[in-house]
Amino acid sequence: MALINQATKELQVKVVYYGPALCGKTTNLVKVHENVQTAQEKGKLVSLATSSDRTLFFDFLPIEAMSIKGFKTKFQLYTVPGQVIYNTTRQLVLRGVDGIVFVADSQYEKMAENVESFANLEENLKANKLNLDEIPYVLQYNKRDLPNVAPVDYMEYLLNNREVRVPAFEASAHKVEGVFETLNAITRLLLQKFINESKKPA
Amino acid sequence: MSTLPQLLEEDVQELNKALEELLTRSEATTALVTDKAGFCIVQQGDLDTFDATSLGALASNSFNANQAIAQMINEPNFNTVYQQGEKHSMLVMDVDEFTVLIIIFPAAVSVGMVKYYAAQAAQVISRQLMIAKSRSPGQGIDLAMLNMEDSSQLFKKKDL
Repeated sequence: MALINQATKELQVKVVYYGPALCGKTTNLVKVHENVQTAQEKGKLVSLATSSDRTLFFDFLPIEAMSIKGFKTKFQLYTVPGQVIYNTTRQLVLRGVDGIVFVADSQYEKMAENVESFANLEENLKANKLNLDEIPYVLQYNKRDLPNVAPVDYMEYLLNNREVRVPAFEASAHKVEGVFETLNAITRLLLQKFINESKKPA
Repeated sequence: MSTLPQLLEEDVQELNKALEELLTRSEATTALVTDKAGFCIVQQGDLDTFDATSLGALASNSFNANQAIAQMINEPNFNTVYQQGEKHSMLVMDVDEFTVLIIIFPAAVSVGMVKYYAAQAAQVISRQLMIAKSRSPGQGIDLAMLNMEDSSQLFKKKDL
């Protein structure tokens, strides 16, 4: 869970990009890294990938939000490996997660994989003694620029049909469309949660 | 889920003091305390050569991976990770349920000595974190200072 250091006025938050294999999780981080405006020197994007650029352990991007005053607000963005066999690794990366971006592949033929990956997310959170009802998350429907995409309503029906509906964004991550909207949305949800919790009596 | 306590000035001072002593005694180059989620809590030593944020995240995740292997093979005592290099070596040591101590030291320095002093430092760190936890258990985080000036654009895209 987030690290709050009153001494150094620092808030550190962990966001994990989750989703099926090849849905564009790493592309999201790469595009954030390439395109973000930063006040200070930009953190390095670390990718632990195979020789064919498939994520093996995780990608990691440390980044600081520009327009939040009072606390130095540092975000650690992670991706998980999407391939089904790397489940233990996904569980490890979810340790201490504060917020989640679920990246879904909009292509019709990927719907089953999206649903399976979402169910896998819930299971892996439980393995970490966490619950999706208590963790801010947003959905991103990626690859909207491809010809064979499912309608957004259908994806909403499949992935956003829990008791509380969450913000969902259409994206074409490789064109940087929807990438920053998604990141800003999860950041806002997270900070709002922290602010609300800070108002509760100890 | 219980988590790291909030840290006050005196906690950070004590943790830094423990790391400074560790570096002096063990001849190590750099020492960090990180949360097992990968957050860097305090760091001391050579921070120009190494990127403490990435180092902390990678080392703590590597430690977590090691713990997962320990569970798979029913080994209860994988509480350190040691990497021996040509110029530098690294030791990652369990501090408590939430925290690890990461030490980078010259390869010529004896790992036994580093381990010995690291164990002492880990005890001091653990004790201070317990003090912090008992001071403000659970919630009650004070984020009154947090001011989201323009919440629509916390992260801005560069103009092309």
